[in-house]
Amino acid sequence: MAVVVGGIGISHTPSMGVEFDRGTSNPAGFSPAWQPWFDGSRRAAELLEELRPDHLVVVYNDHLNSFDLDNYPTLAIGVGGSFAQADEGWGTRPLPDLPGDVEWGIWLTEYLVEREFDLTVSQDLAVDHGIFSWLPYLLTPPWTLTVTPIAVNMVRHPFPTPRRMCGLGRAIRAGVEARPGDDRVVVVATGGMSHQISGARFGMANTALDEYFLERLPDHLDELVRIPVAEWMRLGGTDAAELTLWFAMRAALSAAAARVYAFHTFPQITGCGALVLVEPGALEEVPA
Amino acid sequence: MTGLPAPAFDLDEPGTILFTARRAYEGRALNRFALSLRLAENRERFLADPRGYAGGYHLRPDEVDMVEARDWTGLLLAGGHVLALLKVAAALGGGLWDIGAHTAGVTRDELIASCPRRVAAVPGAG
Repeated sequence: MAVVVGGIGISHTPSMGVEFDRGTSNPAGFSPAWQPWFDGSRRAAELLEELRPDHLVVVYNDHLNSFDLDNYPTLAIGVGGSFAQADEGWGTRPLPDLPGDVEWGIWLTEYLVEREFDLTVSQDLAVDHGIFSWLPYLLTPPWTLTVTPIAVNMVRHPFPTPRRMCGLGRAIRAGVEARPGDDRVVVVATGGMSHQISGARFGMANTALDEYFLERLPDHLDELVRIPVAEWMRLGGTDAAELTLWFAMRAALSAAAARVYAFHTFPQITGCGALVLVEPGALEEVPA
Repeated sequence: MTGLPAPAFDLDEPGTILFTARRAYEGRALNRFALSLRLAENRERFLADPRGYAGGYHLRPDEVDMVEARDWTGLLLAGGHVLALLKVAAALGGGLWDIGAHTAGVTRDELIASCPRRVAAVPGAG
């Protein structure tokens, strides 16, 4: 059976992607605001490599780049052999398409719907900075592993509840463990930490909240889930609601999963964090 | 020196303009127009004739006025989603800082100089 070997929570922002392209092509390197993020993501990239995943299940949010408001899904799964990069309005970045795996996509679709997660199935999903901004920090193209993207509504209210995100994570785990074969799977959840990108509170930065979240998530999920989405928005900016997506990652791992790395910085508009959790034995299997 | 006060811990306007279900409904034409600009060819058509292009999406005259005036705050209040309006800003050669500055009531440079706007509170203690 396939196995969940670890989980990663990580932030995304449009500028994270743009700054990667600049920082890696400019002889002077990254800008001062973004160098800490690049440095801090090195250890997460190493750990992901050591986990040797065959497949990533990524819980993310689209930013009106693939979906639109005439038909806006609360939960959607991408099924396809590849997922193109969405043009967010300034043209696309020089990156390959995201590799998909149709069999994994169909498997998870069938399993999750059976578990009463009635997902919208997207067979022509374009993926935006929700995945493409952080991915090159963790994995250097060409990408050899495959990805199943699961998009969660973080655009129009009402959003799904924190409890629903936990249920989604548990169902993803069960779906992975039911799948024949021996694929190693890392579950990734991505969302900005504290931030707000409109209104007079634009630019709100609550690093105390971000630190609190990274400290509590590994072993106190039940406590965090009881906090209403509006409270995260009030304290960390409206777009801190994306932190609730990280619950799906934590819930997809066992209680015994251990935090091996946590990091955060605040480059400019969005709190940027990374959290790596590893299942018992998952790293020790790596040959010396 | 920054003219911006620390962001408050509430979700009231004008600090926060929530994209509620009702606002989403009221803004459906506006967001349809804005998201059409995800396509490069539509961006070109829009720039060639902004009023004509916007009118083709059944925007009201006052909404077209706000687009022309780059009245991002007014467009948010009219039901535009910030991520949709971002496509309009991008087509016009701007970006998130322009929308943010308008909604915060400062210039783009003032906003950039003010960010990150640091506050500190955690659940149960704020």
